Amino acid sequence: MTGTIVRKEILSNLLSYKFTAVIVLVVVLVATSFFVMARDYKERLADYQLIRPEPGAPIAVLPPNPLSIFARGLEEAMTRSFEVGAVGIDVRAGQSSGNVIFSFFPTPDFVHIIKVVLSLVALLLGFDAVSREKEAGTLKLALSNAVSRSSLLLGKWTGNFLSLAVPFLLVTGLGLSVMAFDPALRMSPGALGRLGLILAAALIYIALFLSLGLLVSSLVRRSATSLVVLLLLWSVIVFVLPNMGSLLARQIVDVPSVRSLSEKRQQIWTREVLLSYGDRSGWGARIQAMNEEFDRMEEDYRLKFNRLVRTSRSINRISPAASFVDAATEIAGTGVSEETRLKSEVIRYKNQALPSLARDRTAREAPAFSYRARPLGEVLSDGGLFDLAWLSVFTILLFAAGTVAFIRTDPR
Amino acid sequence: MNETQSILKAEDLSKRYEDGVLAVDHLNLNIYPGEVYCLLGANGAGKTTTINLFLNFIPPTTGTCYIKGIDVNRDPLEAKKHVAFVSENVMLYGNFTARQNLDFFAKLGGKANLAKEDYYQVMRRVSLQEKAFDQRVKNFSKGMRQKLGISIAIIKDAPAILLDEPTSGLDPKAATEFLEIMAELKTEGKAILMSTHDIFRAKEIGDRVGIMKEGRLVMERTRQELQVEDLVKIYIDYMKSEPLI
Ligand SMILES: Nc1ncnc2c1ncn2[C@@H]1O[C@H](COP(=O)(O)OP(=O)(O)OP(=O)(O)O)[C@@H](O)[C@H]1O
Ligand SMILES: [Mg+2]
Repeated sequence: MTGTIVRKEILSNLLSYKFTAVIVLVVVLVATSFFVMARDYKERLADYQLIRPEPGAPIAVLPPNPLSIFARGLEEAMTRSFEVGAVGIDVRAGQSSGNVIFSFFPTPDFVHIIKVVLSLVALLLGFDAVSREKEAGTLKLALSNAVSRSSLLLGKWTGNFLSLAVPFLLVTGLGLSVMAFDPALRMSPGALGRLGLILAAALIYIALFLSLGLLVSSLVRRSATSLVVLLLLWSVIVFVLPNMGSLLARQIVDVPSVRSLSEKRQQIWTREVLLSYGDRSGWGARIQAMNEEFDRMEEDYRLKFNRLVRTSRSINRISPAASFVDAATEIAGTGVSEETRLKSEVIRYKNQALPSLARDRTAREAPAFSYRARPLGEVLSDGGLFDLAWLSVFTILLFAAGTVAFIRTDPR
Repeated sequence: MNETQSILKAEDLSKRYEDGVLAVDHLNLNIYPGEVYCLLGANGAGKTTTINLFLNFIPPTTGTCYIKGIDVNRDPLEAKKHVAFVSENVMLYGNFTARQNLDFFAKLGGKANLAKEDYYQVMRRVSLQEKAFDQRVKNFSKGMRQKLGISIAIIKDAPAILLDEPTSGLDPKAATEFLEIMAELKTEGKAILMSTHDIFRAKEIGDRVGIMKEGRLVMERTRQELQVEDLVKIYIDYMKSEPLI
């Protein structure tokens, strides 16, 4: 019985202009995103070849991450070049993308399209799934048969989910196959596995919004009401809540600005230079002492900053959109935790490279910087799994609430 | 199961909506195989509510509905296997053709292995024009949709049929054809409950005619009784006798 309803939902979608238009939009957006982001990646790769440090230079710079094509995250910050000097680390813009347009619009990566557009599309499929049938009287007619309300709703859910998931996976698969023809874009099995996991997270995310759509559609009498309510919820979930977390966290955790930090550092440097004027004997020791002071300052800053990040992440998780982006970027290796980890690795590297610098400022014998992103298992145990589980639980709760609402609904 | 067991049965059936309206008031009703029962009554008398109670769309406040002896409230899915339904003014699936609509509801009704010709046959039976069979229902007139709705009920081939104002929107010719179909279904042994505002056709087709007023069944006449009594006069009389408060 459920199968009949699934088939009917899919057929009904295929025959509707609304659905066709929406799917064309998804296909075009995903394809465009792949094209733009892959080109951007190749440009950054070429950039990296240019700024790649010579052996022995005390510079830490990461090659671009191929998964940043899909989940850009903090890639920009992570591929900056960190140059170790006597007074700390000089951070330069790394492989900047030549795409000026990125500074006007949010980066149109895959994760962003899923977060904003696919959630909306899922709602557009779900918002009138029940209410339209009330309006058309077909719900009464269907329920005059030996079909239970829960299997009717399950059929509707499955049919609409497949209607969206199948074209989405198809265009993604097609895009990946096209990219596989370009040697520069070929991805390792590990990266493909991570991408698969991001896709799984995307499917859960779509399922969540579809369940939300069916819930509201079962609660209201008219499709127009359902649409208004859902658009409001969507904008809160996708845009308002993810920013609320950072705002709230800033109130809770007090972090000095980066500028005050670098100014303080400059002051110490000037003081030391003035103090040691004419007396260069203890310079090496002074540098050492200064460096320790900077380290303490930075350590303090980083602790506070990390607390800010953690707090805002926890608050943001209320929004499924933030949870999804968090999970996807961490899995891709462009997430907040990965970037935090990279920064502490860079500091460790600085302390490692410093002695050789203190000996001879022109020496080029610093060890090479090497960084390996956390293995997937660690990403998952470190919050990724929590995000995915939370998305799943939320989806199940919404679906359950939708079922209850649908069972109680008056079919007229 | 003996011959005289009723297919549709309402026992002490009442429905009070959340807002306090008593839409059905201790209704008792028995409809037997091969019988057409016409339910008359002014707007808001409780006819649609009665049908909705039979289909378990809403729970009764008191009493029970039985379809083929099955308690509708206790085992709705089993009960609904034995009833077909024509609702008033159903829009159907606009994107689907007549045949696709029929196909979907036939499958829901448990008729899985029907051929194209079976669908055409039942649509011919309700005299839907041939060229509409594979057209989208979106552009159908009200009467065409009504005919398709009736064919959906016919194809389910259930022993009980509930119809809510089936003739509203049908042209005179179609309404006459509809009565012929009802007569055929009657000879097939169906128990038919039909709400209507059409007194003349009710008299023509109904083996029994009941008048509802404010949820109560205030009058019931058999076909024989109506041979000698004037249904129109009875109806007007009952409608006039407003209690003066
Ligand atoms: N969902 C509802 N909630 C509250 N009251 C309702 C509801 N549906 C119907 N009623 C009330 O119940 C009463 C009976 O309504 P019902 O629809 O059964 O009448 P009807 O005989 O079918 O009328 P009509 O000839 O206009 O179709 C009316 O007073 C109506 O206002
Ligand atoms: Mg009615």
